[in-house]
Amino acid sequence: MINITNQEVIFNEIGRALPKKLIIYSIGGTAMMLLGLKGETLDIDLVFDKKLDREIFIETLKLMKFRKDDKRVIETYGLKKNTPSMLRLESGDFIFDLFMNKIITSTFSDAMKERAKQTHEFGNLIIRVADPNDIIIMKSATSRVKDLEDIISIINKSQINWKILLEEAKEQVNLGNETAIMNLGEKLEKLNNQKVILVPKDFSDKLWKLFKKQVKKKAK
Amino acid sequence: MKYINILGIIEGTRTIDDVQEKLNIDRSKAIYILYKLRKLGYIRTKYLPNKKRIYSISLLNKQNRVSYLESFNNNMPNASLKINDTENYFVYGRKLKAEDELIYALKKSKIRYVISSLFLFRKIKDWSYLYRLAKKENLTRQISALYDVARIFIRKVRKMPKRFRRYATPKKNEKYVSIVSGFNSDDFKDIEKKWKVYIPLNSADLWEYRILK
Repeated sequence: MINITNQEVIFNEIGRALPKKLIIYSIGGTAMMLLGLKGETLDIDLVFDKKLDREIFIETLKLMKFRKDDKRVIETYGLKKNTPSMLRLESGDFIFDLFMNKIITSTFSDAMKERAKQTHEFGNLIIRVADPNDIIIMKSATSRVKDLEDIISIINKSQINWKILLEEAKEQVNLGNETAIMNLGEKLEKLNNQKVILVPKDFSDKLWKLFKKQVKKKAK
Repeated sequence: MKYINILGIIEGTRTIDDVQEKLNIDRSKAIYILYKLRKLGYIRTKYLPNKKRIYSISLLNKQNRVSYLESFNNNMPNASLKINDTENYFVYGRKLKAEDELIYALKKSKIRYVISSLFLFRKIKDWSYLYRLAKKENLTRQISALYDVARIFIRKVRKMPKRFRRYATPKKNEKYVSIVSGFNSDDFKDIEKKWKVYIPLNSADLWEYRILK
């Protein structure tokens, strides 16, 4: 597990070692830690929008004795497309998941980049934190228990803009993630039924309408 | 992990009574939990005028960071000049100077930031550092023009070195630049002409701040 202090130390070290300024987006547990929504995470999830930036980042990590761990990629993600380039510190303490715009089925859309307003500067490493609404969208694409816990934590601790959630789910479908609306609806309904979160009825209705529209369109 | 779970329940701004109530425990146990959380770095304490302690309990307290916005606001002489913004920029591993904040404010290209940034000229000490930063961001002329405006309205503004002014002086063929696009001044035409910079302020915008002189 990586805690806040360890994460800060490793980012500062990378920031010092990087040969130039890189702008990277953080998602998942890393983003939640930077937003103060979580105390620990399993791995550090970062999204790049330039291939060259990711290569520079990987080379820097290699200089810091990190090594590629393709075995773990298959263990974690199976043989899905857009799996991250995964690096792990030799001691096994830190695991970096380095994505290129696409995160398994989700896409880190331009609107998501625009909404990533909080910036953290660690020397040459500049990290933009994904918006909590977008973290929910990405977390709802998986079926891990810890992701459901994270969704509960985000909804209960931050101000959710349900309109953004709706818009982004729609955008994800347009970008090719056909299950985005269904996944989001399913996860939120499940948690709402368990009474651990409160989802506005208006939002559920709109999401359901959107889903029906998507099914109709597909049937044509 | 145990304390992280407790932190989730009592997160926020709390008094000792709140902590007792939230966790349903007695006072001595609440004091012990707060002591442990402080040791872990999750608590910051403030005192009310009646010496009562207020605890800010958050995971964010553990982060060793400085916020541009917070530093900027700390340098403002009164609350009316402080800015509330959803966009924030945090820096780790170094301290922020007034020079950094001035550049940050100008890069925002917003009127509120420009007005407040005039007061930062009081805090500028390292002009060569400011010049280096401004040169990198192409803001030397904008800073010189705003400095001239600040000297008119704000007292105790430190004198700008001649070298800064000389280096920032626009060349004959240089075009006018804006600080906030689409805005120019009716009252500071001479300063605008001197630095070839459109100033997004009029005298009336700054009149209420003359009292702060």
